[in-house]
Amino acid sequence: MFKTTRRTMMGLMAGAASLAIGVGAARAQDGDIVIGGSLPMTGVFGFAGVAVEAGMQDYIKIVNDQGGIGGRNLRLAYEDTAYKVDQSVAVFNKLTSQDEIHLYYGDSTGFAKTIAPELARSGEMIMGGASFASELNDPEAYPYIFMAGPDYSEMFGILLEYIAQETPGARLVLVNSDTEFGRDPIESTRAKAAELGLEIVEEIITAPGSVDVSTEVLKLRRARPDYTLFHGYVLSPLPEFMSQAKQLGLETKFMGTFWSMDSSLWEGVGEAADGFMGVMPYRYYYDDAENAPMMETIREMRPDYQATGYMQGFLSAMLMAESARRVLDNGEELNGKTLKAAMNTIEDFDTGGIMGVPISVPGNSVPVGRVYQFDASAGRMVAVSDWISLDKE
Amino acid sequence: MIIGTAKESYRADEALLTTKPQRVWMAIFLAFLVIVPFSVNDYWLYMVCLMTINVVAATGLNILTGFTGQVSLGQAAFMAVGAYTVAWMERDLGTPFLVNLVGAGLAAAALGIVVGIPSLRVKGLYLAIATIAASFILHFVFVHWESVTGGNTGINVAPARIPGMELTTYFQLYWVIMPVTIIMVVAAANIFRTRIGRAFIAIRDRDISAEVLGIPLLQYKLMSFAIASFYAGVAGGMWAYFFRVVTPESFPFMMSIFLLAAIIVGGMGTILGGVVGAVFMTITPELLRFVVEWVSPWVPNAGTLLSPVRTIVFGGLIIGFLVFEPQGLAEIIQRVRRFFRLWPFRT
Repeated sequence: MFKTTRRTMMGLMAGAASLAIGVGAARAQDGDIVIGGSLPMTGVFGFAGVAVEAGMQDYIKIVNDQGGIGGRNLRLAYEDTAYKVDQSVAVFNKLTSQDEIHLYYGDSTGFAKTIAPELARSGEMIMGGASFASELNDPEAYPYIFMAGPDYSEMFGILLEYIAQETPGARLVLVNSDTEFGRDPIESTRAKAAELGLEIVEEIITAPGSVDVSTEVLKLRRARPDYTLFHGYVLSPLPEFMSQAKQLGLETKFMGTFWSMDSSLWEGVGEAADGFMGVMPYRYYYDDAENAPMMETIREMRPDYQATGYMQGFLSAMLMAESARRVLDNGEELNGKTLKAAMNTIEDFDTGGIMGVPISVPGNSVPVGRVYQFDASAGRMVAVSDWISLDKE
Repeated sequence: MIIGTAKESYRADEALLTTKPQRVWMAIFLAFLVIVPFSVNDYWLYMVCLMTINVVAATGLNILTGFTGQVSLGQAAFMAVGAYTVAWMERDLGTPFLVNLVGAGLAAAALGIVVGIPSLRVKGLYLAIATIAASFILHFVFVHWESVTGGNTGINVAPARIPGMELTTYFQLYWVIMPVTIIMVVAAANIFRTRIGRAFIAIRDRDISAEVLGIPLLQYKLMSFAIASFYAGVAGGMWAYFFRVVTPESFPFMMSIFLLAAIIVGGMGTILGGVVGAVFMTITPELLRFVVEWVSPWVPNAGTLLSPVRTIVFGGLIIGFLVFEPQGLAEIIQRVRRFFRLWPFRT
């Protein structure tokens, strides 16, 4: 019996392998414009990958229902990366050898940096993604990369602009995780705060994955800030910080950046989440606004709440599609250069209400955002500022 | 059918490949390795290169854990040391890439000796914890020694160069990575034909007896750490040229566990085990991708639904192999060989 099991197992493996290779070779070419994607459907960032995929698929469906781009349909070809760079690169190679790809969605800063030399070498495509790393917002060094929103430094810029308006001369504490993601905007935030006359009274760096924040909260109590700005986290340990600070009777307001701004995340936290603020480049699923036909369409397509990643994926696909449309309208060939040039011609572009103001993509980013605040009783994020555009010189 | 392998000299007895079929198959395999880059697309070439880099790291770990019995969970950190050494040498010294690779190995080996010192006092799980501690200390250094490591942002690595050419495509890199790997695996196999390798095995089987037999434990345990780290360093160095950017997050702690799992699944204490283990661990999740792709026409929204399943199946396969083949994949290969030795007379 044992022998049979072993044989069967080996047979199965051989079968799987040959099948795999067979399927890999049997992908036909068609006239579609393919958007490739290294998406983190599992792993620590899985929640975002799933949402991003839904957003991209929906926008693609909208475009295709209207006849596609120049008669060609859009198609998303993506695979799971588990948010690991080596797998993201594997997916990239797999998809690019199966299809002709000129538009790509990458899942992490690490992946973007790793694949950037290849993008430059092949010159075949432009790439957006889940990373808003300030380092990538440099058209010289990363000519084929874009982000569908402000980079992390710009997000902090938007928050600081808001703070400077609300509380001139405010005292700030920065809390960042000890990761590339977390430390990203510290440097630029110092400069921007000084420029706006805000005082950074303490900088706290937490170890990745740390949950016990009591010593950090004590630091917070000593510093007595008006605002505490988090970056480099999704959720934990923000609720711990907030509830402990509330117990100590601290008056500080807590703020975060895009990836920690999803309202379903905070809804799960409950009462302690009340008053959490942060910068958000897109409208929330439930935002009622005039002149936001796209939000209406989304609500028609998806009756349930869609996470912030959905909006990010949606807008990423929109920028990609718009760039491709402009290239094809000019009668040019789709490649990295033409697509990026076309993307940079996007000026005062109406996103249908995904972003509340007409947007432009002067470089690699869209430096627009708005400050929202969580209202625990309603379980929703409520806008507390108008749309803030940072002028990038 | 092979009735027996008569050996007429000690030399023949010690040979790595003892029978004719072995030599033939090895020749076929080497020929296959030469053909591979010409016959597969970039995706498979990428996978082969990644696999090959993992083979070097796993073989190193196998020397330490499989042959010498010193459990280490610091292999990824040593890879990182190698990768950073390459990145630093490439950026600040501009030395040729082969020199950098050797430098990466030596730097990691030097550090390996330091990390190996506790092995003289602690064994087993305790040593594993000590190596974990070492890898966290190293991670801290990578983040904070900014002048050398570039801090959290890391270092972008210039491509490897030979006169007149930059090695940027997988095809080009294959011709560096594969030969280096073959040399290193053959070298590893050869270690165990020498006094050093046999001393390692003696230490693994019972260190006190080994010492009684006249093996200086201090020297040999540290040597084993140095060799294992050298392998990790070279693997990390090749990794740096392959991915062209090194950050503190490039070699997460999970990678050490991945490598340990690779040698356990492959078979500890056999060179073949380290190789097939690394191959299995690298390629299986990718093959499962195709299974997901294959069933996707029948399952709506397959990408979202099946991606987690892929992870679970991979985990299940590992457990399955451990249960059904505790000696590792290498043992399956040995059994197949034994089967054909008497084939077709006994099946």
